[in-house]
Amino acid sequence: MSYKFDFEFLAERWPDFVAGAWLTIQLTVASIALGFLVGTVCALARVYGGPVLRRIVGVYVEAIRNTPLLIQIFIVYFGLSSLGLKLSAEVSAIVALTVNMGAYTTEIMRAGIQSIQRTQLEAADCLGLTRLQTILHVVLLPAMERVYPALSSQFVLLMLASSITSQISAEELTATANLVQSDTYRSFEVYVIVAVVYLALSALYRFALWAIGLVLFERRRKLGTPL
Amino acid sequence: MKIGTVLRSLLGVAFAAVLFALPAQADTLDDIKKAGKVRIAIDLAIPPFGMTDDKMQPTGSDVDLARLLAKDLGVELEIVTTTGPTRIPFLQTNKADLVVSTLSITPERAKVVDFSVPYADHPSVVAGMKSGTIKQMSDLDGKKVAVVRGTTQDTDLTRQAKGAQLVRYEDDATMALAFASGQVDVLATARSLLPAISKKNPARTLESKITMQTNYLAIGMRKGEPRLLDWVNNWVRTNLQNGKLVAIYKTYHGVDIDPAMLLKAGG
Repeated sequence: MSYKFDFEFLAERWPDFVAGAWLTIQLTVASIALGFLVGTVCALARVYGGPVLRRIVGVYVEAIRNTPLLIQIFIVYFGLSSLGLKLSAEVSAIVALTVNMGAYTTEIMRAGIQSIQRTQLEAADCLGLTRLQTILHVVLLPAMERVYPALSSQFVLLMLASSITSQISAEELTATANLVQSDTYRSFEVYVIVAVVYLALSALYRFALWAIGLVLFERRRKLGTPL
Repeated sequence: MKIGTVLRSLLGVAFAAVLFALPAQADTLDDIKKAGKVRIAIDLAIPPFGMTDDKMQPTGSDVDLARLLAKDLGVELEIVTTTGPTRIPFLQTNKADLVVSTLSITPERAKVVDFSVPYADHPSVVAGMKSGTIKQMSDLDGKKVAVVRGTTQDTDLTRQAKGAQLVRYEDDATMALAFASGQVDVLATARSLLPAISKKNPARTLESKITMQTNYLAIGMRKGEPRLLDWVNNWVRTNLQNGKLVAIYKTYHGVDIDPAMLLKAGG
């Protein structure tokens, strides 16, 4: 048996791949943004909250980080609809990915927040900043800058993990690959193409995150050195 | 990542691709006999064709057929567990010698694999809730219809029900769950599956609404294997005529298949 590569089907099917990649981008950008918000709020709660709040966030983080993403997605998609709350595959995907992203972001941001030196907080107190002002201006941004590489990696990981939402019929990039593969039987070619597209998406996300980093972090922009 | 590293890993991928492309073997029938075992790809998530019993052992009509075939070949049976979308890739990448996995004969598939003469017929239907009012394909317009990706139902519905919104799942179990949990109210699948799906949620009992078409199930193998194809064809004909395959089908499906009709369809 010898294998001949045949990419002919691309002429006809490339719009499917574009549509799939576009849905992957939509799903992941939405869940990264929402998950980052959830995670940041939870991280603040975990560091500054009362004992009950800290415990609740702790349970959330441990439950999500110690169960497979596929199971979480199935619970949102099949479980909630059994209870009568019918979410479409795409909405289910965003909800599940957001919940997952939120848990990982909580831990990453908590590390960042706890790395802010006590002396800086005391300085903020001396300047008469309120608690909210302190958190916004003295804690959050420097905390985020410290853990930005870890955050970026987690964001890209989420983009790659979103391939699993093909299991609940979200027609993203991997679902498209499975569909085209099952029509054309050019499985090797299809998965090579999709791997390259994922590689390109990862590069795109990393570039975008780097650019966002430049805008957000003055030191990086002006001095070019990370914290 | 440095450019050099990227280039090096790309070279690695290219090298792996060349390895894949090397010619592998000459005659599968000889290889099977020499190895003393035949690798047959079966999907064990399609009751009653392939499933596991309460002791987690493979069972089902495709499994029994594979066992009988291996016995008559005089070799051991190695079941390669597969899924709908991976059945043909498993053959192409030489992970299995034969596919006995509710594989219907289609012109598209015939371009990439060889089929034996059919061993059973297999009607596909559009099914919905008992209370539903679906009578023809146009009634599906704007409705969500669940299918398993890459199956004949997927291909047929894509053509026949252009107004329907197809929701594609990876296997029968996920599709059944989607119906049982209420994510979809209509699905297109093999008639043989309806009782099993209805059993998952008695409040949602399925009923066959439209018969789409009758497919013929056959044993799939790689192209360019004339000796294996001959052997399998003769084996299917013999066992249709002596009633062994009819008995297997009766045990698991509760219906009688018609050997004369199948032999005629097989030419």
